[in-house]
Amino acid sequence: MKVTVYSTPTCPYCVMAKDYLTEKNIPFEDIDVSANPAKAREMILKSGQRGVPVIDIDGNIVVGFDRRRIDELISQ
Amino acid sequence: MHYKGGIIISGVIEVMDNKTDKTEKSITECDVLILGGGPAGLTAAIYAARAKLNSVVVDTGVVGGQVASTYQVANYPGTNGVIRGIDLVNNMKKQATEYGARIDDMQEIEKTVLLGDIKKVITKKNDYYARTVIIATGATPRKLNVEGEEKFTGKGVHYCATCDGAFYYDANVIVVGGGDAAVEEAVFLTRYAKKVFVVHRRDHFRATKSAQDELFKNPAVEVLFNTEVKAINGTDFVTGVTLFNNKTNAIYEMPIDGIFIYIGTQPQSELFKGQVETDEYGYIITDDNLQTSVKGVFAAGDVRKKAIRQITTAVSDGTVAAIMAERYLAALGS
Repeated sequence: MKVTVYSTPTCPYCVMAKDYLTEKNIPFEDIDVSANPAKAREMILKSGQRGVPVIDIDGNIVVGFDRRRIDELISQ
Repeated sequence: MHYKGGIIISGVIEVMDNKTDKTEKSITECDVLILGGGPAGLTAAIYAARAKLNSVVVDTGVVGGQVASTYQVANYPGTNGVIRGIDLVNNMKKQATEYGARIDDMQEIEKTVLLGDIKKVITKKNDYYARTVIIATGATPRKLNVEGEEKFTGKGVHYCATCDGAFYYDANVIVVGGGDAAVEEAVFLTRYAKKVFVVHRRDHFRATKSAQDELFKNPAVEVLFNTEVKAINGTDFVTGVTLFNNKTNAIYEMPIDGIFIYIGTQPQSELFKGQVETDEYGYIITDDNLQTSVKGVFAAGDVRKKAIRQITTAVSDGTVAAIMAERYLAALGS
């Protein structure tokens, strides 16, 4: 499973999402989009919007800290 | 789980429906059921748990409330004015669970029955039976209700500057509103944005003097008083807004990359509609003891009808509601 979290350092829901994945022992790559404009563009293209967090789980895009959707995707 | 015994029955029953698929549902009995895990609900949990009452906090999302997305809280006593919102609520959560309160987050509440000696709250996963309920469901950001707002939410329309501000590096944004949140978040956004326009329909701000001083001395901020947003325009993302000057009656277009809306809140009380008395806006009416129109049901925090909605007043409400719930139970005799 490949998981990428697009986040910003000041966003509380990003912290919650990352804590949750850590708690579930799911390794992920954390990308700070506030420091990386190219990755920010990539995130906007993938998700069609500019809110964080965006979580890419094997190509499935989750917008916001949507725990139900994350649970669904990581249990597959 | 930090819950330490008591009268909780946490059994599991299996409900079979017609389609033969099984759903597991657990049953929880408690003394105090707190709906909402913001500062009001978590404070009520601390007090109720310390009073040795079986206390459960139910939240539809993750606990924290609106404070969780506040970058920095300057006016909460005892924190030196530099605590991050998320740290403040995480501390409250930790304190509540360490005293024995249970926190059930991510619950989808389907139904509440508040009348009667035993109150019932049904969620997708749990049936809760409680002797008292404290409603601390808080409030959500109020919407402008203009054309384009919904269509462009997340695509240029935002309600959380600390979350999404970073996408507006070197961009032009507007903040709508005139209270503390609008003024403080506008200053926060200047970390990223080239220019922040604050659009407010009145000719002055309601925000505290110190917050206004910060704003007015910031060279990246421009204030547009007597101005209202009439529409939000764009294609895939926001490209501009239609503004109306209510003094000159001028309507004009302004190109903009993003818009952050901070025009107050609306109560999250739909679940209790028709069960407890509210005002015309949906804020729950309580007496001095924070009891609602229904015996044994209390309301605390931003969901309650009151003049001042601050973290400190939410915490105060949580305290009063929990102590009054305890007295209500004592009077009933256990």
